[in-house]
Amino acid sequence: MSRTTELSSAGNRVNPGGVASSERKVDVSTSSKQEPVWAIEFKKICKSFGAFRVLVDLDLKVQPGEKVTLIGPSGSGKTTVLRLAMTLAKPTSGDIRIFGESILFDQAGTLLSSAEEARIRRRCGMVFQQFNLFPHLTVLQNLILAPTTVLKQSKAEAKESALRYLRMVGLEGKVDAYPAQLSGGQQQRIAIARALVMKPEILLLDEITSALDPEIAGEVLDVVRRIARESGVSMLIVTHEMRFAREVSDRIAVFDGGRIIEQGTPEKIFISPESERTRSFLQSVLNH
Amino acid sequence: MTWDWNYAFEIMPDLLVGVWYTVVVTLASSAIALSLGLLLAILESVSTTFGRAFVRFWLEIFRGVPILVLLYMAYYVLPEYGLNFSGMVIGIGVTGLVYAAYSSEVYRGSLITIPPELRDACVALSLSPSVTWLSVLIPLMVKRSIPALLNYVVGMFRATVFLFAIGVPVLMGEAQTAADRSFRYLEPYTLAGCIFILLNLPFIYILSKAKADHV
Repeated sequence: MSRTTELSSAGNRVNPGGVASSERKVDVSTSSKQEPVWAIEFKKICKSFGAFRVLVDLDLKVQPGEKVTLIGPSGSGKTTVLRLAMTLAKPTSGDIRIFGESILFDQAGTLLSSAEEARIRRRCGMVFQQFNLFPHLTVLQNLILAPTTVLKQSKAEAKESALRYLRMVGLEGKVDAYPAQLSGGQQQRIAIARALVMKPEILLLDEITSALDPEIAGEVLDVVRRIARESGVSMLIVTHEMRFAREVSDRIAVFDGGRIIEQGTPEKIFISPESERTRSFLQSVLNH
Repeated sequence: MTWDWNYAFEIMPDLLVGVWYTVVVTLASSAIALSLGLLLAILESVSTTFGRAFVRFWLEIFRGVPILVLLYMAYYVLPEYGLNFSGMVIGIGVTGLVYAAYSSEVYRGSLITIPPELRDACVALSLSPSVTWLSVLIPLMVKRSIPALLNYVVGMFRATVFLFAIGVPVLMGEAQTAADRSFRYLEPYTLAGCIFILLNLPFIYILSKAKADHV
């Protein structure tokens, strides 16, 4: 997939991969036989904090363009999966590959240099629960910092791109505002735009509405729905918004105790889950 | 002893020379203290265990030894090793180094209060370590440190009085010279005290404004 995958402000889809949204839904069991290059692949990942095992032999593969949502009770390891993919944490064992390249080891099996790690990681973007905008920078400065310093775009080019994404999230009028002058929902939409200006091929969304009240969360989820619908970017989403997960996902993985206990299409998970644990989890969440 | 206005006006030009030296020493030592303090805080943050231990040792020396002792050592001992500096240079250097040690603790405290999530955001945006420091961490450190650092600038302004001990004609030195010359102590020291209070007023204004901006 080309790195130029982009959304336009007018909502025109620019998808160099030419994969239609409906075609992106994949049958993992058959595609695995064809040995595709996965957008992201977790291989036998274990992660422990002291004696506490957060992830146990995790295997998870995401196809290019696929939207995978991780659901499950708090503390089941979902956020850790995203942090490992973004190299914000290191696994205790196992390997993680992004478009076939390990973010941990080189071909000789030695640890990657930080420069190599950064090069591969650049294909991922992440949006955090607490937005994490730089408070001393304006919205525009937040959006052009990485493109100008990492992608080496000119200031004019970066500004043009930033304005395009700000229009997409409906906040083009806030270019000169500081994060503290924005509502939580607006900050999160800016954070999404900031991730998108880096043209990621994989977007990691970590409970992006957890810090927002339900009314404001809707405007953020609408933006993500649009990205999911109109772009070819792969998504790994952690959320407790079940309706959103059902709408936006090609596949849902249910986590419990650091393991994926079940995964499948939203219809399968929400209508006819195989696992009793999935059923009880969904029951408790949906009845809440 | 009664106040003599004629004597007060007579010594005023000398005291104003002292004001000039006091301001120059304060500004120069502040520049050293605030920039070196920042470098030390960064160095301590990015160093290995050995590097951190070295920085801490260095800081404790300058925080632990009284400023007058350091001034005398630099002024009288360094020439014995062939290092000759003027009293002005030594005064600015020692004051700057001592307050750099204090300032670095302020910067370090600010760095600790920067939420780790902002560093995560830097990693997620693939910012290089230098961009992370220059564009994110240092501006935030400095912004959060301003109220406390202004206190240290006021401290350096007051600490200039020690420099008269090594012959720098700061305000205190000029007042002392005038008093020794005439054996009149009321006017020189009262005027020196009043001038210190007057020069402090802008700092008090800036400090209260900075604190209000940061609350």
